[in-house]
Amino acid sequence: MALWLPLRQTLESSMTLHMLAQYPLVMASGALLIGSVPAGWQRGLQRSNELGMAGLLFAALTMAVLMVPRVLDLVLVSSGVEALKFLALTLSGAALRLSWQRAGTVVQAFFMGNVLPMLAVVGTLYQDANTRLCNAYLLADQQTLGAALPWIAVGILALWMLHLAVLARYKPDVLGTSGKPSPP
Amino acid sequence: MLRTALTCTTIAVLGALSAAWLTEGFEVWTAEGARRREVMQAPVMATPATLLGENLSGQSLHGLLTNPRQVTLLSFVYTRCPAVCIALGSSFQQLQAAVGASSSELADGDDRDHIQLLSISFDPAHDDLEQLTRYATLWRADARHWRIATVPDAAQLKRLLQAWKVVVIPDALGGFEHNAALLVIDGRGQLVRIFDDTESAAALAFARSLLAHRTSAHGV
Repeated sequence: MALWLPLRQTLESSMTLHMLAQYPLVMASGALLIGSVPAGWQRGLQRSNELGMAGLLFAALTMAVLMVPRVLDLVLVSSGVEALKFLALTLSGAALRLSWQRAGTVVQAFFMGNVLPMLAVVGTLYQDANTRLCNAYLLADQQTLGAALPWIAVGILALWMLHLAVLARYKPDVLGTSGKPSPP
Repeated sequence: MLRTALTCTTIAVLGALSAAWLTEGFEVWTAEGARRREVMQAPVMATPATLLGENLSGQSLHGLLTNPRQVTLLSFVYTRCPAVCIALGSSFQQLQAAVGASSSELADGDDRDHIQLLSISFDPAHDDLEQLTRYATLWRADARHWRIATVPDAAQLKRLLQAWKVVVIPDALGGFEHNAALLVIDGRGQLVRIFDDTESAAALAFARSLLAHRTSAHGV
């Protein structure tokens, strides 16, 4: 708890750290936490999460809302909105972990096709704006973040493609394309 | 599948509701936009502050702003400001020319309708009386129309900036970035409207309409 306040202050002192360090860290903690939830509860959750659709939808919407510039400013001055942000990010991390495998390639592709262009477009908007979109953050900071977001989208896409390529080679049945690329 | 569909619908509705809540019905996407809307809906009174400035020292901000026949165009600045404030300074210079032309015959203590320009420095640590005077000279500020001051008391300044949601953050070069804007203050000392620093013509027109409206409302 003594560590918490300075950590929050540091991670929220810059727009880039706020979005590229704090958001993923809180999501990762959510993904870790869901692992310690009893298997019975997880199964209960999964009954409402066929093909991981509910979880992926939740994560995509959370990211969209939390990239609105006003929200980045608002969480700095409103502890209520800040608490909701942390809750939503934690749940998103948990939802992603619960949903990813279940989603399968097609639903994953749909999720990627929505989230990655969103990251790239938001990044371009941040970068191209000549004025500051957040009152609490410097223009240069916003432009750094804006420049990074499209590359992050490209990076995630590349990792996912690599993952698919590995699956296609070693576990073609998971992709539903069994037999096509023949194993070595 | 029905449970999943219902869950997805619930999530989508919750997402849309929170987005609508956070953007005030998809109207504002930035904190600055929200600030301007709030001010239009509910004017914000100046908080008590004692000024420092040429012929202003010791005077209260409220006293300087309150005059039923006056509207003030106010901007927050710091005199070392290299970028944004140059734009603000020159738009104030143009405003001064416009205000001065329409009331050149205005004598001291004249109580006719008028528009006052006021620059307040949020950097009293650097901007003492000497720096403020230097700034006034640099921009050829005519004290009849354009006053330049600061609030030396840190606590008073902080409250004023907070009340009007002026956010000042230090930049990497030892200066500041701030949400520079033209603030329109009515004759009761209330912030009633905020314009971009590039919208000085619109701000002036709005200030004049306030004066005209007041005059017609009181039948003067």
